[in-house]
Amino acid sequence: MVKSAAYVINRTDVNAWLAHILREREVIAPVRGAGGDTVFAPIATPDDVLWEFENPIGAPKQFLLPQTEPIAHFRRHEGHYVVAPATALPARVLFNVRSCDASGLASLRETYASDLPDEVIERRADALTIVTLACGRPCEMGFCVCSDSGPFLHRDFDLQLADLGETLHVDVGSEKGRALVDLAPALFRAPGDDETTRRDGMERAALGLFGDETCHFGSAMRRLSTRRVADALWEEMSPWCVSCGGCTHVCPTCYCFSVADDRAADGSATRSRLWDSCQYAEFTLEASGHNPRAKRAERIKRRFHHKVSAQYFRRDGRVGCVGCGRCVKVCMGALDMPAVVAAIRHGAWDGVRAHD
Amino acid sequence: MTDLLLPSVATILAQHDEAPDVRTYALRHCDPDEASGFGYRPGQFVELSVFGFGEAPFCLASSPTRPGGIEVTVRRCGRLTDALFALGPGDEVGLRGPCGNGFDVEAARGSDLVFVAGGIGLPPLRSLIWNALDRRDEFGHITILYGARTPSDLVYKDELRAWERAHDVTVRVTVDRAEPGWDGAVGMVPTLFDDVELRTDTSLAYVCGPPIMITFVVKDLLRRGFGADRVITTLERMMQCGVGKCNHCCVGHRYLCRDGPVFTLRQVEEMWE
Repeated sequence: MVKSAAYVINRTDVNAWLAHILREREVIAPVRGAGGDTVFAPIATPDDVLWEFENPIGAPKQFLLPQTEPIAHFRRHEGHYVVAPATALPARVLFNVRSCDASGLASLRETYASDLPDEVIERRADALTIVTLACGRPCEMGFCVCSDSGPFLHRDFDLQLADLGETLHVDVGSEKGRALVDLAPALFRAPGDDETTRRDGMERAALGLFGDETCHFGSAMRRLSTRRVADALWEEMSPWCVSCGGCTHVCPTCYCFSVADDRAADGSATRSRLWDSCQYAEFTLEASGHNPRAKRAERIKRRFHHKVSAQYFRRDGRVGCVGCGRCVKVCMGALDMPAVVAAIRHGAWDGVRAHD
Repeated sequence: MTDLLLPSVATILAQHDEAPDVRTYALRHCDPDEASGFGYRPGQFVELSVFGFGEAPFCLASSPTRPGGIEVTVRRCGRLTDALFALGPGDEVGLRGPCGNGFDVEAARGSDLVFVAGGIGLPPLRSLIWNALDRRDEFGHITILYGARTPSDLVYKDELRAWERAHDVTVRVTVDRAEPGWDGAVGMVPTLFDDVELRTDTSLAYVCGPPIMITFVVKDLLRRGFGADRVITTLERMMQCGVGKCNHCCVGHRYLCRDGPVFTLRQVEEMWE
């Protein structure tokens, strides 16, 4: 078979391909959870994988940056401490994740690889193969088109599937992706002209379906980065937030963490890295009692400075948002990304979902 | 496997009580290669673990120009430091680092040095002070201004006297509240500025202390003619990872643990969000 940048596979062959992958790796995919919700979880059989689904409220970032991750064991041995790494690095395939979530994983990976590289996260990312299912239409709350993280991707995936009905079109984004194709090469063939045309048409059509309800990062970034957002605006938003941390927990790009020890009676201990949230009042509380962001308004401002400011954009090369819309769904107030970006642009907060 | 967050084991060599609830610990890595390979600059810090209780950043109070291990001076004010104060010589702790940028000692060569410290703000400056004293002919006049709440709260009491005796060094100490037996100055640190020659054109001012003290000292120094590039401070925030990843210590898009903790006043002015 000729090496190609794209393939097609018949829908009737997909389960056979997945069976090949399952023999070698753990496969995480959107599945119907016990309570009826869609969740990302390991699959037992190819039939578990969902192809039509609402994106799970929990982003798949947990498979790169686990919510609670043991990082070290401290054991007592002959009167001394021995430090041993405790990190698990399973070889996994993330299957049928959406473009936004793949962008989020790439953003996390870049963050951890930059400056002082966190090799644990890098190696876990290396062991993760990301197969995306491109979106043929915008999801209800999504605005991925505003941050170049969907509906189709041009980077940040290993394989990108596009559902053409009887066949899946497969874009190859990396050697890791190609390795999955190579597990069952007989199931794949080069796409015909018609199939390539249909895949491209699907992408164009999806782009055309985004309405005006999107999120204009550019102008918000300018205002935020030139100090043209009045502190009073954050104060006005403040009563709409309860500091629950929901937005940061479901966000595919949020990565704040804390480190905590859990000790056993024999003096041994396990140190873990845990998700934390810049929206929690104690996030910046110092042992002295001093807290530079004791006010909720300061914390909201912090969150959006990190995600939308030009200072961070220059550093990271991306805005800290992939347009998945999870914060829109999860916020009990209305302090989601599109609403806050609109408020920054207009210099006014009206306390309702103000998508513009 | 190297791991950014994995500590090394170190032994407590000695401890010295400086003031009520303030103690200096001398530490050395248990692994001889790590012990001999540990290089650092004044102003850098280590992440110190009390196994089972967690980890926190402490500035290196010792000077790389001096033998005798790594020293940290710790104020007891929380769960971790409570657990640390239960340990003593022979006990083991964890160390990661050195972290942070530290003072640019080479850039300071040839300048007069003015150190302004409040309370537990002296330890990071102590590292630079000893560094300058040990390379005495590379620096100009040294002025050390130090204030604490009470005479008992002064740290490095013996060293303050030793610095006073050193050649071409001016030391002034003040306390907010006198105690019986105190015959020194009483008042906030900035009151010492009138008592010394500040040489604003040739000096670098190093300021460290509680936030309120830094605010007043910096204002005063600027008013007296120091340029914002010549006032250098070392800042503190709640820190966790110490390597620029966890986001606890960021101000604007700067990370105190990574871009700092040492900043010029000019850089501090550019840190906003």
